[in-house]
Amino acid sequence: MIAVVMYDGRDEMSQPLTDLGQVRASVEAARGLPNAHYTDAGVFEEERRALLFGQWTGLAVGADVPEPGDAKPLEFLGVPLLLIRDKEGTVRVFENICRHRGMILVEEPRRIEGAIRCPYHSWCYSTKGNLVSTPHVGGPGHNTHASIRRDELGLNEVRSHIWRDIVWINVSGDAAPFEEAMSDLIARWSEFDLPLYHGGHDSRFTLEVATNWKLAVENYCESYHLPWVHPGLNSYSRLEDHYHIEKRGEYSGQGTLVYRQITNENGETFPDFADVGAKWNEQAEYIAAYPNVLLGVHRDHAFAIILEPKGPERTVEHIHLYYAVPDAEEGLKMRNTQLWKTVFEEDIFVVEGMQRGRHAARFDGGRFSPVMDSPTHCFHDWVAGKIEARRAMARAAE
Amino acid sequence: MKRLEAAILKAHAADDRRALARLYARAADRLNDLDAACFFLTHAYVFALETGAPEAGTLHARLKAHGREA
Repeated sequence: MIAVVMYDGRDEMSQPLTDLGQVRASVEAARGLPNAHYTDAGVFEEERRALLFGQWTGLAVGADVPEPGDAKPLEFLGVPLLLIRDKEGTVRVFENICRHRGMILVEEPRRIEGAIRCPYHSWCYSTKGNLVSTPHVGGPGHNTHASIRRDELGLNEVRSHIWRDIVWINVSGDAAPFEEAMSDLIARWSEFDLPLYHGGHDSRFTLEVATNWKLAVENYCESYHLPWVHPGLNSYSRLEDHYHIEKRGEYSGQGTLVYRQITNENGETFPDFADVGAKWNEQAEYIAAYPNVLLGVHRDHAFAIILEPKGPERTVEHIHLYYAVPDAEEGLKMRNTQLWKTVFEEDIFVVEGMQRGRHAARFDGGRFSPVMDSPTHCFHDWVAGKIEARRAMARAAE
Repeated sequence: MKRLEAAILKAHAADDRRALARLYARAADRLNDLDAACFFLTHAYVFALETGAPEAGTLHARLKAHGREA
């Protein structure tokens, strides 16, 4: 028998870490995910592989590396990565380590002028990841050796794809192609398949939140809480003006039928995404693309929130706002950033409160409103399905 | 050579990699011993490569001519 020993010494085969039996029941009967999915280090590790490494996961945005040669080191769930725009303008993701001794290559965001030089023994890589120099590898002044085949020792590239400027990665390398995995969402928002421009410095901010990343997804995809948590929005966007969005196994969220454009003191608005269609005049949608990217689209702007899980009970939200034109008015952009920042900050006490609530031993995952909570249930169903599939695979290996 | 050595150390301290490419190339040019020259030439090439300096191509060609680069 092959047993997978978890990092904390538990045997994955002997018994599942949690009982997900009730999670995938119909929304009327289902309970939410057990507490351990929000608090336990062993479950976090299981989810890291099943929900994050094994899927197309949001890492960063293309605007993080705007110019050819721009490189930004990132740590994603403990893995050192390097986001880089190569000299031809293609965004790539590599493991941020030298193939020689595993040394970290790039410590700070910077422009690569020529090649990436390892600070240890100076092996050099092109911005496309090719190993281009191995100084003294065959002895002093001898820079080649028959056993060191440069064409086999390029940087380890992580599978990546850009959609809506988001850099999605599939760490395990075995997910379906991005266009296939996200085909329904891509089709749903095909009218927004237009150039979009990051609003720049004032159109990005981060929020550090003491919560498990899944609670941020769960809160985002339902409209049930809006009148209580966001009374300002409710003044014009009432609960009954919203609808659920659910695609089982892929995404869920909410839409509104009364989107109202932001204006400046002169009554001016942002330019619309050209030809986006009259349907979107007053309609806007907010979708959680599983696992960790929260997206919003409107006739005149869009946003993306990339959830960076930092541990079972800590998440960093990276928020970016986008516009239809590269030179949207600065004052209006700042006003819009502030508006969304206020909304997202209003959610913090909720996700942090639910997180603390997951330490109540008798909480059984909770019950859902069959009418109002189905987008959250849709997400839980996806989580449980992916974890069960991973557990089944482990059992088969046994 | 002592002055050159001092300049190289100063460039290292200042992390001036463009200067390092130039200074190591100068050091290589002053040596008659091929191995010692290729050692310095290698350093010159690496810093030129890293900084995208135009002399990287020439330095590579010199090393390759001596069978020291691919």
